[in-house]
Amino acid sequence: MLAFRELDWKLITATLLLSVIGILLIMSAQYYAVSDFSKTFYQRQIIWLVISLIVFMVVIHLPLRLFDVTAYLLYGITLVLLVGVLFFGAKHTGAARWFSFGPVNLAPSDIAKLTLVFVLARFFAYTKLPVTSKRRLGISLLLTAIPMALILKQPDLGTSLVFPVVLMSLWFWSGLPILHLVLILSPFVSLVAASHPITWAVYIVVLIVTLFLIRPGLSFSIVTVLANLAFGIVTPFIWNKLADYQKLRILTFLDPGHDPRGAGYQIIQSKIAIGSGGIWGKGFLNGSQTRLDFLPERHTDFVFSVLGEEFGLWGALIVIFLLAFILYRAVRIASRCRSRFASYVAFGAASILLLQILVNIGMTLGFMPVTGLALPFVSYGGTSLVLSWTLVALLVNADYHWQEY
Amino acid sequence: MSLLQFTGSRREQIALLVIALVTLFLVAGLIKLQVFDHARLARQSENNRIRVVPIIPKRGNMYDREGRRIVDSRPSYTVAIVPAEQVKDVTLPNLAELLGMDTVKIKERIRKTMVSRYQPAPIKRDVPFEVVAVLEEQATRFPGVTYQIEQVRRYPVGLGTETFTGYVGEVSNKDLEKKGAQDLRLGSMIGKKGLELQYDAILRGREGTAYIEVTASGQILGPYRDKKETPAVPGADLTLSIDLDLQKACVKELETFCCGAIVAADPRTGEILAMTSYPSYDANIFSSVIPESLWQAISSDSTHPLLNRPLKGLYPPGSTVKFVAVGAALEEGLITPHTTLKPCLGAFKFGNRLFHCWDLGGHGSLNAAHSLEQSCDIFLYQLGLKMGVDLLSKYYDLCGFGHKTGIDLPGEASGLNPDSKYYDKRYGKNGWTQALSMNNAIGQGEELATPLQLVQFFCALANRGTAYRLHLIRKIQSPDGTEIDVAPSVALKLPFSEKTMDVLFEGLRLVVEGEHGTAKGLRNNLYSIGGKTGTAQNPHGENHSLFVGVAPLEDPEIVVCAVLENAGHGSEVAAPVVGHVIRTYMYKKLGLDTLAMVTPEGND
Repeated sequence: MLAFRELDWKLITATLLLSVIGILLIMSAQYYAVSDFSKTFYQRQIIWLVISLIVFMVVIHLPLRLFDVTAYLLYGITLVLLVGVLFFGAKHTGAARWFSFGPVNLAPSDIAKLTLVFVLARFFAYTKLPVTSKRRLGISLLLTAIPMALILKQPDLGTSLVFPVVLMSLWFWSGLPILHLVLILSPFVSLVAASHPITWAVYIVVLIVTLFLIRPGLSFSIVTVLANLAFGIVTPFIWNKLADYQKLRILTFLDPGHDPRGAGYQIIQSKIAIGSGGIWGKGFLNGSQTRLDFLPERHTDFVFSVLGEEFGLWGALIVIFLLAFILYRAVRIASRCRSRFASYVAFGAASILLLQILVNIGMTLGFMPVTGLALPFVSYGGTSLVLSWTLVALLVNADYHWQEY
Repeated sequence: MSLLQFTGSRREQIALLVIALVTLFLVAGLIKLQVFDHARLARQSENNRIRVVPIIPKRGNMYDREGRRIVDSRPSYTVAIVPAEQVKDVTLPNLAELLGMDTVKIKERIRKTMVSRYQPAPIKRDVPFEVVAVLEEQATRFPGVTYQIEQVRRYPVGLGTETFTGYVGEVSNKDLEKKGAQDLRLGSMIGKKGLELQYDAILRGREGTAYIEVTASGQILGPYRDKKETPAVPGADLTLSIDLDLQKACVKELETFCCGAIVAADPRTGEILAMTSYPSYDANIFSSVIPESLWQAISSDSTHPLLNRPLKGLYPPGSTVKFVAVGAALEEGLITPHTTLKPCLGAFKFGNRLFHCWDLGGHGSLNAAHSLEQSCDIFLYQLGLKMGVDLLSKYYDLCGFGHKTGIDLPGEASGLNPDSKYYDKRYGKNGWTQALSMNNAIGQGEELATPLQLVQFFCALANRGTAYRLHLIRKIQSPDGTEIDVAPSVALKLPFSEKTMDVLFEGLRLVVEGEHGTAKGLRNNLYSIGGKTGTAQNPHGENHSLFVGVAPLEDPEIVVCAVLENAGHGSEVAAPVVGHVIRTYMYKKLGLDTLAMVTPEGND
């Protein structure tokens, strides 16, 4: 049996607090809703929290080795589910993302986040390949790209964003030199810079000079420069070939805020809601009815706007610091664990949470695109809550057994 | 083996630094909004509202082939309500009085057209300027009421152009589901029928959006400073292949009949020159809310004014399609151009049934071309029997019957080309005999074709084999000045050899030029005409009268098909009608005055 006193109670308390705050905000967000169904969202979230706690209890009792040994099997099952959902998934506004089991929707893409962490953790924990070897980078890239491509096909851009971020984080945690990480990311800078030829030219010169000074290896340098040239030259060429409506479609795909009547309007209103909350907020149940009734996603993606309006700066700061504390604990656990697998799992969990927090809150504040990523622990949504609690369970588990190899 | 040798405390520090930076970043954003921008945002939150106002682009015009305007738009005023800004017991009663609508009706309109509570929901389109003036002067009486300048579509009346232009109307929930709400919203006007629907995306352009800050009392403060407006992109203009002179001539011809259709096309390109369905309707009424009574009157009219006859009217083609059976028999080697079958004595006995020729006096012995000239049914009955149902059906299929022509109009009918599978299903495996092919050979029985299919088939005959896809668009002119020309594409190649085509073409010529031709009344000394008459028996009463004409025969440039419902004999009714339309075309081409017409020779 586990010695309960030795669990990471600070981490558990922070998570629990966030979940309760979430339920209050969901209740407030739909308090003046017209439909009775919307008013029950917070009750449903309470049920989901109970389920999450049960899952949490189960996961902290399981040996982490179980996930280590079955990582590839779980990964395979996930791929089957991801392919299956494309054919048999419930269609919702053109996207097939869920399997529907009566009232419960199962999104394989959420499971995929978890199994990707397992499979990458297993790969990095046991591989003997040198850190910068092409095979090591290539295999891990492939493991990430397959589920990501399947999720892009659904299409779900927001969720698929998580995958490269997990990969980058674990590359970093497995000791890949920072410089390599920067160079790997450099073609995407080209992609953006390419719209302005002079900026791009300057950038390429800087890149080549840097490579020349640092000499990360000849083949690596050549591949980096070629990739940059390719992204920089081909992109504007293709872009100019596209018809206006195709450009608009791509822009809207990358940034739904570009669509002025839908998401763009939501961001304006979200900013007004948060800003009008000021330092002290308008008070519980006093915000949502005045400003937020235009936001269809106010209990899910825009729940932070409700927080900012009703509880003001102090309320928002409490939530941000609770979230930051969870991230801090996750990184501490990752470096403390003696088991490599556990360490990678903990760091992967941290990276998933960090990205979702940054993108979601950033969106409500108006400087991130509207992607549909939920705020962990707080936003309404069963799978999201269960997944987030599972990540915390893994952290608590890894922390409890930190001495085991 | 500790992990530290890989990860090290340095990595941990970097990770913690990243977390700290992200946290700071978010906190900084929060402080900016909640401390520095608080006053402005709080004011907006309490007093001011942001209206999202669509900027409606100008819908593209349609022109005829000579650049004459067929469809355009005129500016009009639309009264709208911003639902969030209305004041209970003030807005609705006052507005109801002003517009002459009752409040229940207005509420229903809001429900139907509301996108969000902050966007104006159109209530009434095309209101007179006086109403707008009242709204401007007495704004306080109408909190939440606003007006927009919108375009109202203007269609010509009495030219039959609605047959191809179709019309626009307010978007329905079904439209929104079908097209996805990408660039449509409730209250938008979209193409509902015809070219307006087919080329909707091109004609409509793209809506822009303006963000306007309004005080709680409805006073407009100006554009919202945090969000730039997106301008509207006007739609493209269409140049059609229609010739309005010819279109007018067709309508004039049809006016003396109850119901019917005339279509004219250029066989060299497949361009439609005129297309009319009679009786018709006024396309302008669909642009605003149609009064229930008017809708009732139109939709219950027994002459079906809403039926697009050229596109969807299914008629037994009658003798006009005898070319198919004759061509098929020649091609299959069942007859030669010189074969004369059993002579026509006015009737033909098969089993114990007597099949009559239309001319009870009989035609005597005829070869293939002359059987077409005189439209002898007995000759065709025998061909039908030789071929059987399926072989004949195969040739009808290859000649374009039983499937759509692919014209650039939505909702085209396919017609019906029965084969043995069809009969098995309809009458049971043993419930029918091959003798049905006798009727099919003369375009009767279950054969059904649209006027467009007949036009396509005769275009192919006129070109000695090739039909170009029928189409209505010549040119698309984008607002940025670019033009796209529509190039003809091949739709159909007849399954007939050069030799067979010679016989069929001779038949086409003899119908008018021959001594016994069924349409010899069309003969004249200015230009040569070919064609084929058709008199279609149908279950709705008097025979339908059909004629499809081709002119000039040396180098055909126009095919005209007339179908006149329950009007009688093809040679007596439809043939002269087509003759007049062709005359209008040829006279215009030759520079002659239509009014000072030379009486054509013959017994017209």
